[in-house]
Amino acid sequence: MKQRTQWSAALAAVLVLTAGCGSAAGPGSRSGGPADKLVVWDWKSGDAKAAGYVREAKADFAKKHPGVAVEFVAQPFDQYYTLLGAAIQSGRGPDVVLFNGGGQIRDRADALAPLDSYVAEDRQRLAGWDAFTKSGKVYAAPVTLQGHPLYYNKDLYRKAGLDPEAPAATWDEFVRDCATITEKTGARCFALGNKEGIGIQFWLSALGSAVLTPREYDDWVGGKRDWSSPDVKKIFELWRQAGESGLNTDGANSTAMFNDAFAAFNSGKAAHVIGLMSDVGHWKDFAEFLTPDNVGVRNAPSVNPVAKPSLPYDGGIGYAVAKWTRDPKQAADLVRSLTSAGALEAFHRDGGAIAADTTIGTSAGGPAVRTIVSEVKAGKPALHVALGSKTIELMGRLSQQLLSGSATVDDALRQLAASDKTG
Amino acid sequence: MSTRDRTAIPPRRRRPRGSRAERFAPLVLLAPAVLIIVGPRLWPLVLGINFSFTGDGDRDGTAVGFDNYLTLLGDPLFLTALRNVGLLVLLLPVAVAIPGLLATFLHLKVPGHRVYRGVYFFPAVLSPVIVGAIFTLLLAFDGPLNTVLGGLGIGPVDWLGDPDVAIFAIVGVHVWATFGMALVVFLAGFATLDPSLLDAAEVDGATLPQTIRHVIVPGLTRTIQFVFVTTLIGMLTSMFGLVYVMTSGGPEGSTYLPEYYVWIQQGQMNQPALASAASTALFLIMLVVGLAQIAVLRRTGGED
Repeated sequence: MKQRTQWSAALAAVLVLTAGCGSAAGPGSRSGGPADKLVVWDWKSGDAKAAGYVREAKADFAKKHPGVAVEFVAQPFDQYYTLLGAAIQSGRGPDVVLFNGGGQIRDRADALAPLDSYVAEDRQRLAGWDAFTKSGKVYAAPVTLQGHPLYYNKDLYRKAGLDPEAPAATWDEFVRDCATITEKTGARCFALGNKEGIGIQFWLSALGSAVLTPREYDDWVGGKRDWSSPDVKKIFELWRQAGESGLNTDGANSTAMFNDAFAAFNSGKAAHVIGLMSDVGHWKDFAEFLTPDNVGVRNAPSVNPVAKPSLPYDGGIGYAVAKWTRDPKQAADLVRSLTSAGALEAFHRDGGAIAADTTIGTSAGGPAVRTIVSEVKAGKPALHVALGSKTIELMGRLSQQLLSGSATVDDALRQLAASDKTG
Repeated sequence: MSTRDRTAIPPRRRRPRGSRAERFAPLVLLAPAVLIIVGPRLWPLVLGINFSFTGDGDRDGTAVGFDNYLTLLGDPLFLTALRNVGLLVLLLPVAVAIPGLLATFLHLKVPGHRVYRGVYFFPAVLSPVIVGAIFTLLLAFDGPLNTVLGGLGIGPVDWLGDPDVAIFAIVGVHVWATFGMALVVFLAGFATLDPSLLDAAEVDGATLPQTIRHVIVPGLTRTIQFVFVTTLIGMLTSMFGLVYVMTSGGPEGSTYLPEYYVWIQQGQMNQPALASAASTALFLIMLVVGLAQIAVLRRTGGED
């Protein structure tokens, strides 16, 4: 035992002496793969629905660089950023990397090459660049648009004797209609899942444009966020009230947004849900259960008469180029192929995403998707996407406290303001 | 090397080389084992601990001293995670008593004990992810358990959505899923129990609680200690799957455990150095627990 103690002491001494000598693998050891092969990391290409997209993109790239092989490595999404973090730490890994827009890419922009000079031609054709921009530099080209339309179940509206084609324009009317729907059909107003704290992100972004003045909205997205303003407070106050007055489905804090809350909407347990535009929990999923004609999409009902409700959306996913790649121009060409009109059309058609290229045809998608695409032009970046991942995480926890009544709106806003300031 | 070999070669030149070889031979023979321990085991550990003294983001790769550890101590989530570890330790007696009691009943051959033995062990072969998914459904707000409670006139409980309840729900599910192993260990312990003592207790007219208190517990001291040790290790190191599937650390961050915290910081917050600091802290906790356990086991070993 004594000897073991000595060994432990020696080990501890070595650790103290070497402490802080550098990171596990310093940033100096960067090296790329061979130039005749590009490696792409994503969580999409393994999906059968993405096969057509990958084929189109590869064909487009092969025209520009015939001799270069492209390898797609599909990682599990659960582990994606963990694996990517390890690759970034070691300074080696994929050449082209799929990212979610917003915090996920901005937090890792250090490891990426700016694409501004390579993608200039695509700037007009594609929408959603803001989500991949940090300090004025573009780090990825958008593939899909992601946003938070307010979906509603037209069938429930009809059953409650309401006109599904003319939903309530103001918040007070909206709440009154919800009461009618609940009375007539038993369905709640909102299907809400806030187990992971995601519900509040959707709420903030979907209702934001109906509460904040256009000036406040743009300031927020631009980084000037006043957490103590009465309008910001109103958004969180509405969140608390919706929980308290029973607008939401029961047990929101233990219901997963993906996919239990969406399932509640699909099965007619709630008349509305704040969903997504692409991937899951969107018009295509809902149409499978409710039929395309019963899925309605609308902007948030107006809370503040000065506000201009609009569709909140950003670049959803996009491809970036890693800093350590050997030939950034070549890798950027692959990114351009991955966002070419042909590839994106295949992605929209097979995967049911709203592609970043809004010039491609969407007529086959049903009325909901047409409404969404028509709103893209007037849409603005979503409010929650502008927040850092720490603030988002804190907001998730605080939103659960607001629903359970263990925190006040003022207290929550104070904590969020502090977190937002430190980044 | 035999004596004959040695004498066959002129001794003058061979002696010193032979003795040097003999001096190095043990080191050479040990080298593979030492390298395996040091290379893939200790060296990454040292790197990880070293890494925890560096910064994240802008300060990547620069030495920051104990900054990460100070951040941890100031982070309410990490403190919640530590508090939950304390809670696990407090709940340990319950987690040990359940398999102990059930094993006692099996040993006393209650009717149907063969069936129960299989049934009790069954969950131990399920992965935490599957167990978590099953119980997420069962414990959902509109799930079967609340329906049953509603039928009895008891209001619905948000098992996984109430911050005061969720951690107990998860520990309960963990105990349910893992007590089968402890049960088997207890049954093995019973095999070493002198049956004449149980018979004597019965002849003397001891009740079941008296038998447990005066015969079974003293007879199984070492088994009980062993189960305490393994159950605690299980609780501290293998509840990630349940937390991940059932609550994602929520509600309100109330079900965070150090492991989950490490994962969030590394994978979601992109702060690998802070995550390293948290895992070093977890390592130290495990070290303290492990040393305490060794001390306990050694003491009981000495008593025998």
